[in-house]
Amino acid sequence: MKTNTLWKDAFKRLSNDKLALVALVIVCFYFLIAILSSLGFVASGWSQEVGASNLAPSMNHFFGTDIFGRSVLLKVIRGTQIAMSVGVAASIIAIPIGVILGALAGYFGGWVDDIITWFYTTFSSVPNIMLLISITLILGKGIFAVYIALGATSWVTLCRLIRGEVMKHKEREYVQAAGAIGGGHLRKLFRHILPNVSHIIIINTSMQFQIAIKSEVILSYLGLGVQGEPSWGTMIDDAKLELVRGVWWQLAGATLAMFLILLAFNILGDALRDALDPKLKGK
Amino acid sequence: MTSLPLLSVRDLVVEFQTGEGIVRAVNNVSFDIPQGKTIGIVGESGSGKSVTSLAVMGLLQKPAGKIPQGQILFEGQDLLKYNEDQMRKIRGNQISMIFQEPMTSLNPVFKVGEQIAEALRIHKNLSKKEAWEKAVHLMNQVGIPHPEISAHKFPHEMSGGQKQRVMIAMAISCEPKLLIADEPTTALDVTIQKQVLELLYKLQQEYRMSMMFITHDLGVIGDIADDVVVMYRSNVVEKNHASNIFMSAQHPYTKGLLACRPKLGANPKRLLTVSDFMTEDGQEKIVPSERVQVFDKESVIEKDEKVLLEVKDLVTQFPIKGGLFGRTVDHFKAVNGVSFQLKKGKTLGLVGESGCGKTTLGRTILRLVEPASGNIIYDGKDITHVYHEELRQLRRKMQIIFQDPYSSLNPRMTISDILTEPLNIHKIGGSRAEKLDMARELIEKVGLKSNQMSRYPHEFSGGQRQRICIARALMLKPEFVICDESVSALDVSIQAQVLNLLLDLQQEFGLTYVFISHDLSVVNFIADEVGVMYAGKIIEMDKASRIYKNATQEYTRSLLSAIPKGQTKQAPTLTV
Repeated sequence: MKTNTLWKDAFKRLSNDKLALVALVIVCFYFLIAILSSLGFVASGWSQEVGASNLAPSMNHFFGTDIFGRSVLLKVIRGTQIAMSVGVAASIIAIPIGVILGALAGYFGGWVDDIITWFYTTFSSVPNIMLLISITLILGKGIFAVYIALGATSWVTLCRLIRGEVMKHKEREYVQAAGAIGGGHLRKLFRHILPNVSHIIIINTSMQFQIAIKSEVILSYLGLGVQGEPSWGTMIDDAKLELVRGVWWQLAGATLAMFLILLAFNILGDALRDALDPKLKGK
Repeated sequence: MTSLPLLSVRDLVVEFQTGEGIVRAVNNVSFDIPQGKTIGIVGESGSGKSVTSLAVMGLLQKPAGKIPQGQILFEGQDLLKYNEDQMRKIRGNQISMIFQEPMTSLNPVFKVGEQIAEALRIHKNLSKKEAWEKAVHLMNQVGIPHPEISAHKFPHEMSGGQKQRVMIAMAISCEPKLLIADEPTTALDVTIQKQVLELLYKLQQEYRMSMMFITHDLGVIGDIADDVVVMYRSNVVEKNHASNIFMSAQHPYTKGLLACRPKLGANPKRLLTVSDFMTEDGQEKIVPSERVQVFDKESVIEKDEKVLLEVKDLVTQFPIKGGLFGRTVDHFKAVNGVSFQLKKGKTLGLVGESGCGKTTLGRTILRLVEPASGNIIYDGKDITHVYHEELRQLRRKMQIIFQDPYSSLNPRMTISDILTEPLNIHKIGGSRAEKLDMARELIEKVGLKSNQMSRYPHEFSGGQRQRICIARALMLKPEFVICDESVSALDVSIQAQVLNLLLDLQQEFGLTYVFISHDLSVVNFIADEVGVMYAGKIIEMDKASRIYKNATQEYTRSLLSAIPKGQTKQAPTLTV
């Protein structure tokens, strides 16, 4: 009998799901594009004129050109870099806040729980888009403000989920057993409970990632996001004037790119939940 | 042959497609259930008994489960040829089922009356009012007090035994011809188990039903089954009248099952297990006579040992919240003034039903729960109010083995990590290699192989996991161990092995046990002294060898009479 860790088991289940594998490949492909673009290997010349203004898609220019004669394809790639960086940055900010606050609230309960619960319910009672807009207005426009704004709004769900799971697990006998052999609070919480709820972090991150991408598009569309760089949101914003003149390719390029990654993340998120969440397992 | 049997299973094979290939869960199983008779199907977990019942109900997990061969004839019709629509008309109507876990088998958001009425409305086309009246009638029949009021209750407002009665009422609501009971009493206390068994027997007689009773414990079906089918590793190893099984079992596995349940009164020094009767490959073995010899606990000459643990007037209470702002309005005393003394190297057994406070008492002694008043004196020192480092040092000497081997091991840690963790906490044994050596030594002591230590808990069976829990408790070389229902979740055959192991370890390491259980026969076997707990108090305490003969309290006697006798009360039946 071979020794399988739970993670290996989960990966095996995931790789049996063909659709999920395709989604995983798409996500990896987007990450690759984003990394290559940020290192300057692709799309570094996005701001140069490659042809006449508003050329329709052709063999030379797959997605056509924009009003300044720049390649829409290169702009979409550049936009991918922005979108993925927003997702990553939002996760880096949201995961530690969500996990630590959620774990503390769930484990200690009492007044700790009261304060943290009050804090996140207050936070989540303000519509996210309002919060996003006000944070970007305070911090000033630009990509950095978008990172902070998205990170600050997306920890709430994770915190709530982790709190609930930790509450459930702290009553389990294996945690009591850790107490009986002399383990302290930190050991019980970080060594025993957190590894058992870590699947929540992964599933939630894949869900939050797409929300972050969408929010960036919305913010940029509203003119509060990225400045001076192409993003899917600004491209869609530009398109609303162009559409009247029959220039549809800028809108099509940005929407298609966004549609694919959101779909992939949705499928992957579902598949991850099936593979990792022990509740849904047959046993 | 007088008439056609109601259910006839012929050469049934069930296979499951798993990650590791095809696993045969049921192999060429054949048996008959005659009209109005009860068949007991006995075997340990994984023997294929539940899979057989699911196949009869047409509830096998699709598409993993397949039936490549065999017939299931119900009144002469092969159920395997029925489609899902036809099966649905049979299920719940002609064949119905009671499950093991009454806590999770009822829908928590509906009143129990509605849930009973639902089946009636689906299958019998009764109006809402008629169905409700019938449901109340049924609840009366299964012995739920004040059925008109109880029908309006939600599942969480009822006790485990009452919920199981509701499940039974649902199952018999459409007057099925066949009732399948899958371990219906395993999750219940012994006294409740006895009542449920009596109820099932009464209803079976009244409704002239046939019954298929599945259990891992041969003891419980003596009172109820006409015929017994014994299953072992997917095969039927023995089929006979219940009386013949109990009087003269043929197969070594059946003999082992009968012998491994501790009896009230005298037992061998170590319980007999299936492996005493049978080799690994199923060959019969001669049981050495010294293994069977009854051991008299009174014959042991008492050495004057010192008192290791003394508990004085211990009270543990939990707040009852109420009112608009969730203030504490009252206290519930889970442990209400308990006192006892326990000598070194001895075992105190604590018996009582769920909710009597025995688990809370155990955890309070270990200071996992804070006592409200009273004193815990361990080894001459009052430990009721020690904290921090002192408490941590105390944890080395006092350990606990929990009830559920499935939830008491961290699923994300390997066995070697689980076993070396206590050493890390208390900084014992220098390098990791040294710690692993200590773990290896102990894992072999509890009967597992040391090359299995890199595995995760889910790769072990229930009995093996409980051995791992025991090894973890012993890593710190404690003097005192609390076993909290440590064998209750195990099959009887595994239970005997674990009890023997606990006794062996006690002898080797000079351990002192507090053994908590709801099963008096287990406590009677393992303990030197027995305390009977009721509503937070110890109401009776005596030597284990005496309490079953001279119980003074009515409650103790009711606990004693509820223990399955492991024999039939009916005359042999005449079916063939």
